[in-house]
Amino acid sequence: MTSRWRRSVGELALRGRQRGECERAQEALGRVTSCFQQLAVSLGSSADGSFLRDEMDETRHLAQRICRGLSRRLLRLLSDCGPAPSIVEDKQVSDCGPAPSGVEDRQVSERLWVLFLSALEHFLSDLRKAYNLIGRFPLTQRNDRRSLVNTGCMDGVVAVAARVASVQAPWLTMEEEQSPDLTNHIAELEAMLSEMQLRVPVAFWSVEATQLAGAECGGLEGLEEGEDSLEELMEGEGGSRRPACCCLTCV
Amino acid sequence: MLTFQSKPFQTPYFWPTQKWVAEDSDYAIYLAKRNIRKKGMLEPYEQAHYNHLHEWLNHKWDFIVMQATEQYKAGKERKKPDRVVFDCQERAYWIVNKPPRRTHSAMDSGLELLIDPNSDEKIPFDTYRRMNLFYQQAIMRSKVKSSVSLGALNKYVATYKNHDPFLAPCLPSNPWLTDNDTYWTLNMRQLEVPTKMRVERWSFSLFELLSDLRGRDDFKIFLKKEFSGENLAFWEAAEELKWGTASSMTSKAETIFKTFLAPGAPRWINIDGRTMGLTVKGLDHPHRYVLEAAQTHVFLLMKKDTFFRYLKSPVYKEIQKKALNPEPHNFSPGQLEQNAQNRSPGIHPLILWQQDEAEKAKAAAASAPVDVKALMSKLDRKK
Repeated sequence: MTSRWRRSVGELALRGRQRGECERAQEALGRVTSCFQQLAVSLGSSADGSFLRDEMDETRHLAQRICRGLSRRLLRLLSDCGPAPSIVEDKQVSDCGPAPSGVEDRQVSERLWVLFLSALEHFLSDLRKAYNLIGRFPLTQRNDRRSLVNTGCMDGVVAVAARVASVQAPWLTMEEEQSPDLTNHIAELEAMLSEMQLRVPVAFWSVEATQLAGAECGGLEGLEEGEDSLEELMEGEGGSRRPACCCLTCV
Repeated sequence: MLTFQSKPFQTPYFWPTQKWVAEDSDYAIYLAKRNIRKKGMLEPYEQAHYNHLHEWLNHKWDFIVMQATEQYKAGKERKKPDRVVFDCQERAYWIVNKPPRRTHSAMDSGLELLIDPNSDEKIPFDTYRRMNLFYQQAIMRSKVKSSVSLGALNKYVATYKNHDPFLAPCLPSNPWLTDNDTYWTLNMRQLEVPTKMRVERWSFSLFELLSDLRGRDDFKIFLKKEFSGENLAFWEAAEELKWGTASSMTSKAETIFKTFLAPGAPRWINIDGRTMGLTVKGLDHPHRYVLEAAQTHVFLLMKKDTFFRYLKSPVYKEIQKKALNPEPHNFSPGQLEQNAQNRSPGIHPLILWQQDEAEKAKAAAASAPVDVKALMSKLDRKK
């Protein structure tokens, strides 16, 4: 009985560490995908170019590495946990000490699972859009640059690229794998998504948010004074802010 | 300050397209980002969407908040002008895809799709015919610039401001409020001396002058001095035709023709040949509005010429001087009570009508063509 208790405590501790790893990886993934979006927004515009596209490739390779690692670990976490523990096991564990019950453990893992799958879907849709845009604006020849649209953007993606470079995923140093091109990347992610959904049955709707509505407002430290003037700048150019009929001439 | 060399366009990432339907989770991320930026001050319709999505996407909400925060921070890495451009474009994208209340959506998508965008449209001939008709009519329509019409409204308000009983107190006092009918007595139809406000009103336009019968009388006096009373007489006769009984129309039309329009008539009016021709032809089958064209012409003649001479004339100046300016009443509550008790039914309308008729008879007699024979016999008898 004591050995079993020690083993289960050990297991729980390990799982706790693994969960922490996954949470950090999730944050890193979020950072990388949001940077990817910032880069993708410049596709087809006058800021588009080989530098941008190279950066986009780098970014999505990094994202791919994180995704692969996360998917493996989460699959392991949730398959190990097994289906929701029976009441007998539960009682035994809780009798033996202050370790978190199996149900809570499962809930946290499920939450991570849902977050990862949502992030995956979101990234996938961005990838598809990027693929579409790259197809529309191929920059293989010199005069292809004439088809680029002037969006008034000056080049500003260097800082975004630096942000990507600063991301650290917990298992980057360990695994070195193939970096696929865009089409294969999309196919791989789609396969990953469907595999995960088939392997582990998780009820999405049972996961609850830990944040209240509107909690994100207070989070960020001191927004710079320039924030309000940003809105004014946007208003100033085009007259009324909210046109009565929505046309795409807001700027 | 931001300056663009040429007008910038929406970046292709945010182009509206049927292929990528704007996802709810994307919208949720955008709203959360906006919430962060606006420190919780979302527009009401955005707040409503936010609350709804917070409920329905609750399982993903942590991801949404995380992603929104990351996107916000990533956005801050751009240079400020680019950030502004990006924010504008993103905002435009979402205004198109999730339009605010009571705005017309620029997107024609979803189940209520009216046009199949993948089919080639063949506009039939009939549609073109209708379009041509519509545009022709639109071109022919007379248009008034809003600046012009608003200017006219402005002028009207400025002119009539002091005469409006709601905006300015009527002198001496409003009979409906104080139960004292001096105001009505001072503004009756048959009056030697009118009030100053009334006289001022006559100067606004010929229409005002003629509408007020007392003013019309004054105008008649002026015209008699100028020996040009036939225009007004014709105008009055036309009014009588318009407002008279149907049975009297034929006889009236005949009289009018004999007096004013026939060549060599005693009070021949000077209107242009085309109008004269039309009117005479119309008189073969007289109806209520047969003299409309001629009447308008005469009215315009009077307005453009006689009216201004009248306003500068000694007749008008004299009446202006003579006009009364009553003192405003100042009743105490006790006096108001008394007024209320002493209300009288006023002059019977029948009496007023009889007075009117007497006046008309006198005027008719005065302007009737002089019977020479009768006059001579009178003179003989006097001798």
